[in-house]
Amino acid sequence: MALVNTVLGPVDADDLGVTLVREALVNVVPGAQYGYDIRIDRAEVFEAVVAKLTDFKANGGGTIVDANGMFQGRDLALYEALSRAAGVHIVASTGQGPEAMLGGYFLTPQTNPPTPWPAERFAEMFSREVTDGMVVPRLERRSAAGLVATAVTVEGMTPTDESLVRGAARTGLATGVAVLIRCGFDALASLDIALSEGIPADRVVVADLDRNDAVAAGWPAEVARRGAWVSIDHAGSTDPQYVSDAERVALIMFLVNDGQADRVLISSSATGASFGEPGNDMAFSYVLTDFVPQLRAAGLSEATVEQILKTNPANLLSVRK
Amino acid sequence: MARVNTVLGAVSPAELGFVAIHEHIGYGMPGCELDTKWWKTPEQRYEETVPKLRLFHENAAPYGAATFVDATGICNGRDLDYYKSLSAKTGVHIIASTGFVGGDTALPFFERASIEYLAEQFVHEITVGIGSSGAKAGIIKVGVSRGFKMKELDKRIYRAAARASKATGAPIFTHLAVDVEPALAIFDEEGLPLDRVLFGHADDGVSQGLVNEKAIIAKGGRIGFDTFGYDLELPDPPFWGRHRNERLDHLLTFLNNGLVDSVLASADANCSPLGWPGVKGHTVNYLFEQLLPDLTAAGIDDVIVNRIFVENAAEFLTLQPCI
Repeated sequence: MALVNTVLGPVDADDLGVTLVREALVNVVPGAQYGYDIRIDRAEVFEAVVAKLTDFKANGGGTIVDANGMFQGRDLALYEALSRAAGVHIVASTGQGPEAMLGGYFLTPQTNPPTPWPAERFAEMFSREVTDGMVVPRLERRSAAGLVATAVTVEGMTPTDESLVRGAARTGLATGVAVLIRCGFDALASLDIALSEGIPADRVVVADLDRNDAVAAGWPAEVARRGAWVSIDHAGSTDPQYVSDAERVALIMFLVNDGQADRVLISSSATGASFGEPGNDMAFSYVLTDFVPQLRAAGLSEATVEQILKTNPANLLSVRK
Repeated sequence: MARVNTVLGAVSPAELGFVAIHEHIGYGMPGCELDTKWWKTPEQRYEETVPKLRLFHENAAPYGAATFVDATGICNGRDLDYYKSLSAKTGVHIIASTGFVGGDTALPFFERASIEYLAEQFVHEITVGIGSSGAKAGIIKVGVSRGFKMKELDKRIYRAAARASKATGAPIFTHLAVDVEPALAIFDEEGLPLDRVLFGHADDGVSQGLVNEKAIIAKGGRIGFDTFGYDLELPDPPFWGRHRNERLDHLLTFLNNGLVDSVLASADANCSPLGWPGVKGHTVNYLFEQLLPDLTAAGIDDVIVNRIFVENAAEFLTLQPCI
């Protein structure tokens, strides 16, 4: 039986149902929690997010993956309570990135010279979040991470970005969880770096592939051909950096017709709650209520819809022994 | 009315007694809280910290009181509720900082912030309080990022600090006194009198030859001899360590040349470090155990000691808004 690490413990992959692999339950720009004019009312956050999860479930949803990593608002106790209350599986992630989102501890450590962390230290930290449980800072470890997520700087990969990608790949290889890389300047180069660590391509997701530059460069098809997962993860977004839903549908239809239906993942990068930057008003249910109907109208079969929303994420999230 | 913000409320500067002007309850780089390597239980934290503060309180008894200025900036593990409990239970006045140890310890939210937002952050923490603790900051921390060169974010923080200092009267102290020219220019442009600024770590082992002491003194700034105890004579000194006598002689040069009022001194020790091993055996009490006897042996009398650690420190910490 294939198991998936959720915040409430391992779950049979067959039980996940419709799964969105790249969302954010609570998004906090690192440091925003100290902003003098920012108030994080946990009761309010809970109420807002549980409503969104309940709506997701009512529309046929089963599992949400918080792919925000370990340093952008991840709140495990809250996620556990949300999962219990809404009856939605929640998978939380380890990992960090890109470099600009890291704390100084990793970039300018108190050593002379202040050498940034190398890949092996990131690998050790991320792996322990899978094997020993995710951290609640300076307090305790809780459940196992179900994914390791990192990102590459859009303007170009920094040396620390590369260490993060390698560290994430080593984590995936050592622990069996999948790796998600939000792509930067060159998605294929980042993917190749991950693959050079020896992780199988079908354990790596390249995310943000519905960004304008990613689509224009033809990365989605190339990522799929290399056997990695293509994450089309801004369904419904009106952010001008990303393609429109119509183009998103066309991209998915192209991949499916190219024989890559088993490489495609769909989500919306919705923020349940956001602090320090505007969240989006995207509902977790948008993929089900609005986006899938567009795919159907474009001729996507029910079997393929089922594969992309259920089978593919279950395969991805199953911890590989 | 003259006042100083401590974590338990405002006090008269006359109440501060002996002041350690640059110390840390516990310091860690942002993100170190994710690394279990450094975690300690609350029992361990109190066990490591309380005896040091109690001893500090005892050592300072002849001066009437002990004041511990915590130089831990935003994002570095600053923990006001903890400081309040330590202060209440040990009797040591604790003064907390707003501001940042350096641009490289400001997390992305603040890295993206404007000068105006940063200034408002500092003013709020001095006049309204820090987070939900109710405690107000009494001093503003700024600093130079690693690399001995002020970076753009460092400068933004210095400028915001200057504005917040003028508005609230809280003094500023710096992490590092190297590459001081851009800092002097910013304070000058903002119209902040330089006696409101303590240029810290001018005495450390890696800054020697890189601190323009003359320029700081010429403009009325203060020089921080505040890494006392990070001695190369220790079994495992940090990279910024310096020979004990060299540091002492450096300070004596100031004291013996009529510059007593230009200096303040401290130990920059961690009671219980948060994201680094710390330096075993080094505590705020070095000031009493080593420095004061060394000063006495060098012929520095109690009047001078009092000026440095009591009178001038209190005057510096007193809120002095420029209206």
